[in-house]
Amino acid sequence: MSTSNSPVRRGSPAAAHLTRRDMLRLGAAGAGTLAAAWAVAGCTPSASARSAPLQFWQQYAPAPQQDPNLVAQSQWFLDNVDRWAKAGERPVDMVYIPAYTDPTNTRLTTAFASGDGPDLFLISPGDFLRYYNGGVLTDLTPYLTQEAIDDFYPEALATRTVDGKIYGLPMEQEPLAIFYDVPAFEEAGLSEGDLPTTWEEMLELGRRLSGGQRTGLVLDTTPSYYQNFTFYPWVWQGGGDVVDPRTQQATFDSDAATAALALFGDAVGSGAASRTLPAGGDMVGAFTNGYAAMWQTGIWQVEAMRQNAPDHPYGIFRLPAPPGGESVTALGGWAWVVNARGRDPESAARFAAEVMGSMSAESVDRAVQWNGVDKGNIPARRSVTEAIGDSGAFEDPVLQQFRDEILPTGRAEPRYPPVIYKAVSNAIQNSMLGGADPRQQAETAQAAISSYLETYEGGSLV
Amino acid sequence: MSAVTVSRTAGRARAGAPAPTGKAAQERRQRRAAFWFLLPDSLGLFVFVAVPMVLSVVLGFFRMDGFGSFDFIGLGNYVRMAGDPQFWSSVRITLLYLVGVVPAIFVVGLGLALLVQQKIPFVGAIRSMLFVPYVISLVVVAMVWEFMLSERTGVISRLLGLFGVDDVAFLGEPSLALGTVVVITVWFQMGYYMIIFLAGLQDIPGEYYEAARIDGAGAWQRFRQITLPLLRPTSFFVVVTATVAVITGGLDLVFVLTGGGPAGATTLLIFYVYEQAFLFGELGYAAAIGSVLVLVMLAWSALMFAVTRGGRFDND
Repeated sequence: MSTSNSPVRRGSPAAAHLTRRDMLRLGAAGAGTLAAAWAVAGCTPSASARSAPLQFWQQYAPAPQQDPNLVAQSQWFLDNVDRWAKAGERPVDMVYIPAYTDPTNTRLTTAFASGDGPDLFLISPGDFLRYYNGGVLTDLTPYLTQEAIDDFYPEALATRTVDGKIYGLPMEQEPLAIFYDVPAFEEAGLSEGDLPTTWEEMLELGRRLSGGQRTGLVLDTTPSYYQNFTFYPWVWQGGGDVVDPRTQQATFDSDAATAALALFGDAVGSGAASRTLPAGGDMVGAFTNGYAAMWQTGIWQVEAMRQNAPDHPYGIFRLPAPPGGESVTALGGWAWVVNARGRDPESAARFAAEVMGSMSAESVDRAVQWNGVDKGNIPARRSVTEAIGDSGAFEDPVLQQFRDEILPTGRAEPRYPPVIYKAVSNAIQNSMLGGADPRQQAETAQAAISSYLETYEGGSLV
Repeated sequence: MSAVTVSRTAGRARAGAPAPTGKAAQERRQRRAAFWFLLPDSLGLFVFVAVPMVLSVVLGFFRMDGFGSFDFIGLGNYVRMAGDPQFWSSVRITLLYLVGVVPAIFVVGLGLALLVQQKIPFVGAIRSMLFVPYVISLVVVAMVWEFMLSERTGVISRLLGLFGVDDVAFLGEPSLALGTVVVITVWFQMGYYMIIFLAGLQDIPGEYYEAARIDGAGAWQRFRQITLPLLRPTSFFVVVTATVAVITGGLDLVFVLTGGGPAGATTLLIFYVYEQAFLFGELGYAAAIGSVLVLVMLAWSALMFAVTRGGRFDND
């Protein structure tokens, strides 16, 4: 105890020259110097920061799993960035984000909120408008030739375009259909000829196939953007819509929307569909364990079946239509977008255009590799569809059926902002699981959407 | 120590200041030591708790789009809150959740504590087993229960099927979903509160029970006249902390189990805040709701402290 504060020490030569005030001054000066250095470093990017690789956030690469299909998809991305770097361009780092496709994942939201969003990222249609209205998407049109723009299917570009300017380059088109489990049908003495073409037939079949541990028909039940995505085509089939794309006015109080809400309510109420997702939402597990007979979902399940149950027999059919209506499906799919507030949007936009939107043979070949081999889904560009033909993954008759029979009935997933999403989601949930009156729910949602649109400013709602 | 005292006293004397007594100097040194010991914690609390809390309150007066755009809207978020039926629905659900969980946790926690206080075989193992759910990740807890409660295929549904109860969708039926979440919450928290109550029970002197027995008091009388009154400080702690835990917790459980559904039946206020902030980018509105939550909890804690005179029970 007598060491540091002892009179002897206090009287030592060193201490005599450093008073307490001196120490305070020195401390303040040191802190000031550090703060200034930090501020300068923060304001002025160093040479290394200016040439640091751009970041591309997505759900594919580098693959954390060893599954050959996922490794191949990851390698597709890694090959693209390697090629880009070897061409002497600014390198791009692929950053794998776990659960990136989950709309409730907060990584991207918080990154942008803190002003640190990635230079490139993948985006789904449901999220597009929020980022566009936030002013963080780069117009990619100047980096594309007219020939390349015309090569995209109009419905693939529609929800990534605002006022004629393209802000996202789609990688694929992902239509919805109803998958069915062949063994479940056979057990019930049913065949392909019994596949439903109307809503009533679908519900009847769902009731017939339900029993024991098996759910006859699975419609998505969890409140989410995804549930809305699966619901929209049922509204469109009767000629309805949530917002009229021409007038930009709410139209959800239509008979078509009410009928779609009633369909979801009847499906659950009659016992044709379950209140929760069997097998925790895993369609492959549900089919192979006999937990579900029919499931409304998307083309990505073809790859899931190929990976996890290659020998299990299943089929697909287009969404049944209401009386007097036409079968319509929704087209999802992810698109490349460039952060306008990123470190080098120009370089990032050139990279995106080169890989996803160039008419060069190399760009088309890369897309053929992605859609026709590694991923196995429907291309967003005509030239790629033609180049693939019935080769590679499209030797699979289910993928051919998706391309030839279901895609032509497709309409792009709408890009509604959160308030509209929530109004529709509440109506679906209350009608489907809460036993509420569909007409009343449609009117409540209509009122909420109309009120929101009165003051809405931003990209058009399509 | 004495050397320092002498030196400082001498220094002051040289400067002409009145010489403090030895006791005053000691107190000053103790205060200085306390200051330096408390400084790191205080700084940490200031930077990581106080500043974000103040910023969050300030944020509640802005409209933010999540991309760096701020618009000062005064009380706009609070006005919106007052007329937002979803907000009031989540308040109602949170109150139901609170009313369901806190009394149940109190009763179950105390009951288990009384049980494991007994001299029974393997009591250590039993205590550990009861505590284990509390240390498991809530996401894992939710997933395990989701599988067990799975409609048609879960083990609980199958068991009920043996008794002729078929197709019960515990997580898909609005009238059952919140109750199910309450049961799961009590299940994973009961071990923690059991330990708290056990500590309180072990603080009660055994002589009291012995004297009561000699006086002919039965088990129920001993519980009512000795255990409950002497557990009041522990009970106070349990009620306050369980209330705060219930109001601010449950997000991960609801997120995994139901996503706020079915038909909004499990949209707790904290889940609504999360949805507004991270799903819709309404950071200002979410911050305003968060501020109201903090105010409610402060008011609740203040009320509890006022009722119990600062949580002191010594003079009872």
